[in-house]
Amino acid sequence: MLKRKKQNKVDPHIRSLIKIVGEQEILYKPEDLISYDCDGFTVHKALPKAVVFPKNTEEVAALVRYCHMNHLPFLARGAGTGLSGGAIPLNNEVIITLVKMKQLLHVDFENRQAVVQPGYVNLKLTNSISDKGYYYAPDPSSQYVCTIGGNVAENAGGAHCLKYGVTTNHILGLEVVLPHGEVIEISREGAPDIPGYDVMGLLTGSEGTLGIVTKITVRILKSPQGKKTVLAYFDDVEDGSRAVSDIIAAGIVPAALEMMDKTAIEGVEAGTFPVGHPPDIEAFLLIEVDGIMAGLEEQIDQILEVCQSWNVREVKVAKSEEERSRWWANRKTGFGAMGAISPDYLVQDGVIPRSRLPEVLKEIEKISRESGLRIANIFHAGDGNLHPLILFDSRIPGETEKALQAGTACLKACADVGGSITGEHGVGIEKKEEMRFIFTDEEIDAQLDIRDVFNPYDLLNQGKLFPKPSRCMDVKKIVRDTVAVQS
Amino acid sequence: MDTQEHVKFKDIYGNRGRRLHEPVTEEEISELLTQARREGLHVAVESGGTKRGYGGANEGYDWTLSLKKYRGIVEHNAGDMTITVKPGTTIAELQRFLQEYGQQVSLDPHWPEQATIGGVISANESGPKRLAYGSARDHVIGLRVVYPDGRIIRTGGKVVKNVAGYDMNKLFIGAMGTLGVISEITMKLRPSLKYESLVLVSFPDGEEEKLRKLAVDIQDAMIEPVTLEMVTPKLSEKLTGTRACTLLVGFEDVERSVKEQEGWMTHHKPENAVLEILHKEDAEKFWERFAVTVPNAHAEEKDLCAVVKAGTKNMDVFTMMTTACDLGTSHLVDIEGHGGLGHGVSECVLRGQEGNVTAVIKGLRAEAEQKGGYVVIKHLPYHVREKMDVWGRKPGHFSLMEGIKKAVDPHGVCNLQRYIGGI
Repeated sequence: MLKRKKQNKVDPHIRSLIKIVGEQEILYKPEDLISYDCDGFTVHKALPKAVVFPKNTEEVAALVRYCHMNHLPFLARGAGTGLSGGAIPLNNEVIITLVKMKQLLHVDFENRQAVVQPGYVNLKLTNSISDKGYYYAPDPSSQYVCTIGGNVAENAGGAHCLKYGVTTNHILGLEVVLPHGEVIEISREGAPDIPGYDVMGLLTGSEGTLGIVTKITVRILKSPQGKKTVLAYFDDVEDGSRAVSDIIAAGIVPAALEMMDKTAIEGVEAGTFPVGHPPDIEAFLLIEVDGIMAGLEEQIDQILEVCQSWNVREVKVAKSEEERSRWWANRKTGFGAMGAISPDYLVQDGVIPRSRLPEVLKEIEKISRESGLRIANIFHAGDGNLHPLILFDSRIPGETEKALQAGTACLKACADVGGSITGEHGVGIEKKEEMRFIFTDEEIDAQLDIRDVFNPYDLLNQGKLFPKPSRCMDVKKIVRDTVAVQS
Repeated sequence: MDTQEHVKFKDIYGNRGRRLHEPVTEEEISELLTQARREGLHVAVESGGTKRGYGGANEGYDWTLSLKKYRGIVEHNAGDMTITVKPGTTIAELQRFLQEYGQQVSLDPHWPEQATIGGVISANESGPKRLAYGSARDHVIGLRVVYPDGRIIRTGGKVVKNVAGYDMNKLFIGAMGTLGVISEITMKLRPSLKYESLVLVSFPDGEEEKLRKLAVDIQDAMIEPVTLEMVTPKLSEKLTGTRACTLLVGFEDVERSVKEQEGWMTHHKPENAVLEILHKEDAEKFWERFAVTVPNAHAEEKDLCAVVKAGTKNMDVFTMMTTACDLGTSHLVDIEGHGGLGHGVSECVLRGQEGNVTAVIKGLRAEAEQKGGYVVIKHLPYHVREKMDVWGRKPGHFSLMEGIKKAVDPHGVCNLQRYIGGI
């Protein structure tokens, strides 16, 4: 009797959601929802209405149909590692989390494909096929925990996308639940160039605003025969960035070309995977080439020559796989390592034409000076993707705002040299306004027109990606309303 | 801008307008589309015109908007390895320009001297080297598009990595000009190749299975071919003088690496197969010949000639090629086919009597669809095309495509009915 009474108090929507996924697969009590109030972007927080854990596509579709019919805002979430707030339930959304759909469904070595569910962790794929000599190329730093579904939503990159491309270049087929609950399959067998508009390309990187991906066919690659990794220490950041340009100009396509500055090095050396970088250097480059072993020596010689011509202090080639792995662990945990030298940090994600690196670095230094906040730089130098990490202390009143402003200023510096405001972390809620740095209102409208085709009621991941008021029409309406109030 | 009445309006391939406009600026393109929309006119968009036999349920349009004269390099940033070009620039012109800087666009579509970058992007073309470098879709980083209402919209950007907003580039790549006119294309570049070779392995009749096995072994080995193209006997004869099923295994890297991989091939040559290696200029010349073996809308053909493209799983290309040969034999149709065993795209040239050619196309389509793939007709005269379904089965998400067309081109100004399902 008592139990029934308690049940009756539950929101009727929650009761309906329980009917779809079962009582064990839903969280709705406020204390259970707290860990879902943000993702990897922690500046904004909001509680969801509920968090549901569907086990298959049918349940996802049923949940979506329910939300659609009842005008409930909803969004999809993977591991919650996103850095731009794409999975934050700003509108009290129902969060459809895909972590229980985590199977590797099929591997076809002969056709170089693997089929995974969206909650499957990125690195697990490589780990499950590496004994046969295969791997999955996109390798975001969070790959040991982030999901491939999330990678599709964000069009994730990683250190090795310089040579191998980003997620969109490795997706062969998708199963998607559209915002009204219909399930579609794009290229079920992974055939290339299927006729018709490239809906798969559009969905990849749409930050969960056009549909919920429930099955993914990805391309797998044969592991290269050889890998050589070089670590080069520079006394001058500018020398390091000139070396980057010259390596590329020499006709080398490195698999990865990473750079870290002095503050970032201080962070990683205080973090979990220190490798003993000299404390007084200004920057290092981590350069990797891979391919047929016989061709690698020549490339390494060229790289060493370029580094020497730019006054490198010390340069070394990894002597073992163990040493190489240590260098990479040190680099890949770089963001988190900032926690060792600062109470809080904000990661930015600008992109610039590679050749403008020295001037943009100077500009970032100026932003740091003017804001009084330290900025560490970790970046994929090879493709011009900068990650300024703004170090701050949220306990000091006003410092969070100052950090956000400094982040915006960094993105403006990137946009001003013809770059972009995000290379791999996405716009989310973090960079919505900064979209205006690179797109006109008309161009943003053109994107909204496409969103409306998929998501006309804007119930799926509402309020993400686009600045507000986003449409010229909305602006006009607001102006009209303002005039009305004034008169 | 040049404007004239089309002398050959009723061309055998269709997709032509009564009046030909050849704008030379983006503003002119915008003005033309604005006027067309105002006057309710329908416009056929083309640049090199090689693909006029590709798609299109309309024999004629009010206008042709040709981008042939809207050509040239807008901006080349050698240090950033990016280039911005106008759509009427031919592939050959682009590669010649880049050669001076030791760079290239790693795309190897047919007819480089005639095909333009605008057309290649609009049809998402690729060649055998797609195996290593991807298709047109993988090279584009930014576009300027004149929307059908005259607006100029930029998509993507000028940097090689960018996820700001939707990946709108993808919408226009392969859209066959149905969503507006691409007026500028920014692409990422690669360094020119340092050394190349091409290993041709031919198999005697009846031993084609060995080709399949070799392709599997190559992919499983520690070598990195840039092509793994299977060529049917008739096409092989045209290219090499030997009528035999042939596998074209290309290598591009520093010389030491290429030589080592050639060594692997020699060591693993199947019994009875014939192996030949072409180096540097010889390999380059072979690929030049290869690129012009497929007919296009500029070439005169005696017999009825069709070109079809199939997309399947990688290794199903083998079955598509053998099926094409078998169907050709049984229907008295000449077949010249090739397909990438590592990328899943194959192509067949079919020559013969109309009924026979269409029967073979239907047979190939059935085979591809049964394998979860598709067949599209890339080149066919209008009078035959109008009786055929150029694009094949509509996908389950076709309504999204209709929605996209309606959102971008509600009045059907650009290339109306050129694409799948009549969009």
